[in-house]
Amino acid sequence: MNLSQQFINGLVLGHAYALIAVGWTVLLGIARLVNFAHGQIYMLCAFVAWYVTSRLGLPYLISFPAAMLMGIAVGYVMQRVLLLLTLKQDLVSIMIATLGFGYVLQGTAALVFGSTGQIFETPLSRAEVYFENVWFTYQDIAIITATIVLFTVLRYTIKRTHVGRLTRMVAEDPHLAQLAGIDVRKVYLAVFAFEGAAVAVAAVLVAPRTPILTSMGFEEVIVTFVVVVLGGIGSILGSYVAGLALGLFTAFFGALVAPAYTTAAAFAVLIAVLVLRPGGFAARAGEH
Amino acid sequence: MTMAVRVFLVLALVVAGFFAPRILGGSPAVYSACVLIAIFAVMAYGLDMIVSDVGEVSLGQSLFFAAGAYTTALLSTGPKLGPIPAFCGSMAAAVVIAALLGLVTLRLREFVFSLVTYAVVVVAVTFAQNWSFLGGSDGLGGIPPFQLSFATLSFTARNDKELWPVAYLLVLVAIYLVHAFRRSRLGQAALMVHLNPRLATMSGINPQRTRLSVFMFSAPITAAAGWLYAYQRAYVSADVLEVYFLILMLTAVVLFGRGWLLGPLAGVSLILVQEKFLSFGGDVDKIILGGVLIVTLTLLPRGLAGALQPISTLAEAALYRFGNRMPKRS
Repeated sequence: MNLSQQFINGLVLGHAYALIAVGWTVLLGIARLVNFAHGQIYMLCAFVAWYVTSRLGLPYLISFPAAMLMGIAVGYVMQRVLLLLTLKQDLVSIMIATLGFGYVLQGTAALVFGSTGQIFETPLSRAEVYFENVWFTYQDIAIITATIVLFTVLRYTIKRTHVGRLTRMVAEDPHLAQLAGIDVRKVYLAVFAFEGAAVAVAAVLVAPRTPILTSMGFEEVIVTFVVVVLGGIGSILGSYVAGLALGLFTAFFGALVAPAYTTAAAFAVLIAVLVLRPGGFAARAGEH
Repeated sequence: MTMAVRVFLVLALVVAGFFAPRILGGSPAVYSACVLIAIFAVMAYGLDMIVSDVGEVSLGQSLFFAAGAYTTALLSTGPKLGPIPAFCGSMAAAVVIAALLGLVTLRLREFVFSLVTYAVVVVAVTFAQNWSFLGGSDGLGGIPPFQLSFATLSFTARNDKELWPVAYLLVLVAIYLVHAFRRSRLGQAALMVHLNPRLATMSGINPQRTRLSVFMFSAPITAAAGWLYAYQRAYVSADVLEVYFLILMLTAVVLFGRGWLLGPLAGVSLILVQEKFLSFGGDVDKIILGGVLIVTLTLLPRGLAGALQPISTLAEAALYRFGNRMPKRS
């Protein structure tokens, strides 16, 4: 058993999980909203990036803006449609409607890209590194770097900048924020657009690791749930730690116990934590 | 309306419903669609109680559907039990799973509750695909036809036409149960917990116990649909946990307005008629189903029935004028 290899795998996987979840973390932390179409937006952006590189033959770097445009567009349209429900804070309807959005996205993607699986290869994922007895690709390095940069910038933005203060005010009390002259609708729209852009970046970086399927959104989203809930709802640092922990857990569980049941095991951990600590690990209010 | 008129109308509707497939042409395709509508409506009635009365979105409801289907498949192919024991087994399985899931999620609210119930389904899919005693990814086939026999009487349903009376009876029972539930102490407690949890607590209702009870009451209803679905398809696989069923249930529950007794049945009918007779292919049907769900929630918050309400009020006013009576104050 090559433990250092599993550690590397877990590290990469953990950063990938955190990166996929970051959009939802912000969405939850600021807008107190959930988006069950998150996994499907990830899937759609991965296919857009795949299309741009393998079908149009454009460089890998171009797939970033292409996928991000798609993510932003989907996020913006979703929130535009849901705006009234958001302002009413009708969480039940929002949850169900985002599930509907996910289903629409899945149908559309299958219609456009076909329902067969595809391999999304990038120059980075083909560049392998062997170091002593461990193996990884440049894609893995890119995932870890991008995740750390994104989380640092995000934490700084929310804690220290004007935009961050506005969003924190909206998170605290949307009605009061509105009275204070903040255009709450714009903040909600921006947060959804950010979620789309963030999940697009995640898709372009992480999707090359596994074959992509139009039906993968359903399972992709569960990892995000676990990260977001374990990290303490809406906590940015918390979801980074939770993503990392989940990645290491998955890698070691898959290698040492049973790879088929890693999702189930991750979920069992989530249940255990929720029963013991309903607020997740980082349960301090107002913590970002 | 007096009681006698009401009873007469309900009876007339029940009889008309039974002959609906024959009135619609009586072809095998019509019977097949009607049986599926009945099965999926029963499935949706279970979720209706959670969404409309408790006000939570349980995304784990398809788990009970699967529990019913898998229990039936296992009991009817292994020990060769008939539909009645299989039914009891399905009920028991659903109640046990609902109790476990309910206890685990007892303290969870809103989206965390939804997330966890959704996650349970994803995990259940991995188990269903990997456990060999559940048939793995091949599923369980060879479920015998629905056959009941009492002494000299026997009933066998070899096709959808012959299965229709069972399906119809099941949907009637489900509707009656939801109706009885809404008038029961538990149903009223659930609604109170939904609308004003603090007031409910002050009037001596335990919100957590109420939620758990409704959960355990609704699960067997959905499981009964899974029980009949296993006989209808003669085959069960992890497909029964597909997100399609979840979206179908949710759309059916909200389409005509939450809380209207016949809503889920009407919703499922509308959706299945589109899918069976006006289909544009699986992917476009997905877009339609998801789109209907979004449009209903964002544009028709009270559902189709709520949107049609002004028309029915107008009609009522016209009737009153015709009868030279003052319209009632609303």
